[in-house]
Amino acid sequence: MLKNHFKIAWRNLLKNKGYSLINIGGLAIGMAVALLIGLWIEDELTYNDYFKHKDQIAQIYQNQTWNGNVGTGPALPRPLEKALRNQYADNFTHIVMSSWEDTQYLEYKDTKIQRDGNFMQAGAPEMLDLQILQGEKNGINDPNSIMLGESTAKALFGDEDPIGKIVDFNSAYPVTVTAVYADIPFNNSFNSMQFLASWEKYVSERQWVQNAENSWGNNSFQVFVQLADNLTMEQVTTKIIDIKKEANEDTREFNPELFLHPMKNWYLYGNFEDGKAAGGRITYVRMFGIIGIIVLLLACINFMNLSTARSEKRAKEVGIRKSIGSQRGQLISQFLGESFLITLFAFVMAIGLVFISLDGFNELARKEVAFPWNNPIFWVVSALFILFTTLLSGSYPALYLSSFKPVEVLKGTFVSRKKGVGPRQILVVIQFTASVAFIIGTLIVLQQINHTKNRPVGYEREGLIQIPAFSSDFYGKQDLLREEFKKTGAVLEVATSSAPTTSIWSNRSGFTWDGKPQDLQEDVAWTEVSVEYAQTLNLNVIEGRDFSREFASDSTAILINKTAVKHMGLTNPVGTIIREEDPDPEDPDPTILKIIGVVDDVIAQSPYEPVKQGWYVFNTDPYYSYLNLRLNPEKSATENLAAIERVFLEHFPDLPFNYQFVDEQYARKFRAEERVASLAGIFTALAIFISCLGLLGLASFVAEQRTKEIGVRKVLGASILNVWNMLSKDFVRLVIISCLIAVPIAYFLMSRWLQDYTYRIDISIWTFLMAGLGALAITLLTVSFQAIKAARTNPVKSLRTE
Amino acid sequence: MITIKNLKKSFRTEEVETLALNNVNLTVEEGEFAAIMGPSGCGKSTLLNIIGMLDNPTEGSYNFAGHEVAGLKESQRTQLRKGNLGFVFQSFNLIDELTVYENVELPLIYLKMSKAERKQKVREVLERMKIAHREKHFPQQLSGGQQQRVAISRAVVTNPKLILADEPTGNLDSKNGIEVMNLLTELNQEGATIVMVTHSDRDSHYAHRVINLFDGQIVTESKNRAVGAAL
Repeated sequence: MLKNHFKIAWRNLLKNKGYSLINIGGLAIGMAVALLIGLWIEDELTYNDYFKHKDQIAQIYQNQTWNGNVGTGPALPRPLEKALRNQYADNFTHIVMSSWEDTQYLEYKDTKIQRDGNFMQAGAPEMLDLQILQGEKNGINDPNSIMLGESTAKALFGDEDPIGKIVDFNSAYPVTVTAVYADIPFNNSFNSMQFLASWEKYVSERQWVQNAENSWGNNSFQVFVQLADNLTMEQVTTKIIDIKKEANEDTREFNPELFLHPMKNWYLYGNFEDGKAAGGRITYVRMFGIIGIIVLLLACINFMNLSTARSEKRAKEVGIRKSIGSQRGQLISQFLGESFLITLFAFVMAIGLVFISLDGFNELARKEVAFPWNNPIFWVVSALFILFTTLLSGSYPALYLSSFKPVEVLKGTFVSRKKGVGPRQILVVIQFTASVAFIIGTLIVLQQINHTKNRPVGYEREGLIQIPAFSSDFYGKQDLLREEFKKTGAVLEVATSSAPTTSIWSNRSGFTWDGKPQDLQEDVAWTEVSVEYAQTLNLNVIEGRDFSREFASDSTAILINKTAVKHMGLTNPVGTIIREEDPDPEDPDPTILKIIGVVDDVIAQSPYEPVKQGWYVFNTDPYYSYLNLRLNPEKSATENLAAIERVFLEHFPDLPFNYQFVDEQYARKFRAEERVASLAGIFTALAIFISCLGLLGLASFVAEQRTKEIGVRKVLGASILNVWNMLSKDFVRLVIISCLIAVPIAYFLMSRWLQDYTYRIDISIWTFLMAGLGALAITLLTVSFQAIKAARTNPVKSLRTE
Repeated sequence: MITIKNLKKSFRTEEVETLALNNVNLTVEEGEFAAIMGPSGCGKSTLLNIIGMLDNPTEGSYNFAGHEVAGLKESQRTQLRKGNLGFVFQSFNLIDELTVYENVELPLIYLKMSKAERKQKVREVLERMKIAHREKHFPQQLSGGQQQRVAISRAVVTNPKLILADEPTGNLDSKNGIEVMNLLTELNQEGATIVMVTHSDRDSHYAHRVINLFDGQIVTESKNRAVGAAL
């Protein structure tokens, strides 16, 4: 029986090659999309699976309230460590203090490389279960030791054995390599941690860290923990929530509350609102999951439509089989068998498509998804997937086809149109509703990105480069470098800064000034800059004056941005004196600042959010983080960069010449949204393509079905245009209905999406019109091909076929 | 074998109700060869479909070999039909995607017969219908007469008690038509009961009895003196 069913199915496939191709091709594309999205989701959901203790690891986070707004973050004060170890030690297997990931120079013999890494306490390698390739697991017990990632060790030592070798760390002190660990795979936190150095050394080498030992107000460090085996995150959170409030009176006004942010949530649930978890990337996982299911559904709808449209051809067979003694159940299983066969072919094709497109997809999605050939679970899931698709696409045709009455179909009185057209129309409407909604969604995402890209950033980002200057080699050389760079003619101006232009690295509070609003809990972005910072950035001074080398008093001067004027409640900002609120009585030189000017708002954080109030403080220290260079626009960038590199290497022959274009750094802020837009765009295009394939098949059936009618009409004087109009009208009507359904759905969903952005577009009616007209145009194009073909047939020929 | 009493069949469309069969009483004995005749639209095919259990009567009773058929569900009818009934249609109604052999094999598959047994039965019947040399061919590759021989093969391969033929020669030329009628006669002589709907006087002479239908009612019944008298 089964063999007989497959035989029929196979011969039917061969007989109608065109339809088979549309059917299998459309389904294959749908399945390929679903597979790709499935692999992507799997990759997202298995983030951090590398870490054996994933379920017990957490990072401690802190909620603080500023002016009624709760801010959430992982930055914590140093004394927290002691409090945890003294009172709560038995809750934790490990408590690990950590620096932020930092870029450092590593030098061995003639090789000097720049690598990112962390300074952590000794429990880290065990907590993270680092795979030790060489050396000892507890490699950072000694403050003068360092553990290297495999690729870093390779870059530094080549084929030499790294263990026991002395590395010059940041041109500051020597460290001994004690271990080499396997690089942490891409799909995990800490994947860019290329070295692991000792926290104790971090403290002993930095005065400001030592100063922070007992300061509950200095939130500049990270704390990772591994819970004791029998405890849950919730239990421990309840215990530690009030530690800071109880220990320190001064910070109590910010209502600091501590909680554990579990490692398994770091990646997908990274957003917080009002101090509570508020999703994160999981939104995109869900969104793409839904898109995948919808695209697959569209492909299945094609299958249903084409199968039932062809019902006349199969009706006779059904009648014969029934009259011979086939039960309905047997026919249902026969047609499901056919669906299975087609689905199987489509799956094989889909695997091929996924294989071909995986590299491009990875690049687009910034992933390293590999095809899981040798994963048995994948094949089991695939088998279920094939079964699911078979049932989804085959059930309706099977039920419909097997319901034919033999008396009707064998007598030739059978008319399928009446019965088949209702559900088929609904299915087409579903397809186009989804397609139109996708088009609208993609258009709105693109508009939002463009709108934000065109937002004024407050400075001129083109022709501006920044050179990271973390190495102590740079200290104190800013004026010299400025002169030398300018001498080449390649740069117009040079300035230093304590943070990149496109980021805020430090926030401060604890200041007061005349007229400060009583309830204000000030919180300002703090950037230390050199005199020519505004000139280098082409940042407008809109009130007061810029820093100047003419005024010796400028060492206590600051520039503030427009938003800061509002935040601080100032009417006449220039000349305002700012003091520390509670200066340390032992500090001989408490900070006093004087506002000398107001500058434009610079977008340093999210371009979708309002600019934060910021102070640009005159840098009196010898160290700085970045050199900012305004390139000479009259020369080519290559020429300029070559000249800059020459000067750089003259002064720092041992350092690699690294630089970044600020406009490129800024463009990175759009990556996540652009990635969503391009993926959504591609899936939209495929959804439309699949829907059109189905429409093409359907149109050809309708034309075939009405061949005789068309012949009669032509004999009676109908023109090609009349016939075209007659055949297209039905489809156009369906698409218009689809648009009417899609518009409110898309409007609702996209309005919600836009809510996440403070700086956003208003959804315009034109978007809907464009999407609707686009869908209509594509429909007409698809249907017209068949309609015109049918209309041009010689009526004599079409009438004779009866 | 067949006892029909006070049988009525009406078709209802939105506007009108047509009575296709009105108060039909009919008995067909085992081993009999009956022909149903009458003008187009008189209800012949409707009657045949009801006898063939493809359709249910609206009123009345239909007893087939001791089973009451009227009012059975479709699946029950299929069960009763399987192996008991063979159909021969005017337009042959072979499945285009199956070969001659596979078409004939189909009813045996639905009877869940083993492969070896099927093979033997199909070969036997194809030999007998003189079409065995064409067993690998598809229906479109055969002449009309050959196709009808295949259709008859398929109808008789299960050794049915009753063969129902709906204008079996309607699409054939006279030579092939006579051949088909001779085959049916042979099957009848071997014990099969046959009910045939026909337009053709010539064909009706092969039957033992001719039933004339007009406007859904049996108007006359006449017995032929000897089978094959027309020859």
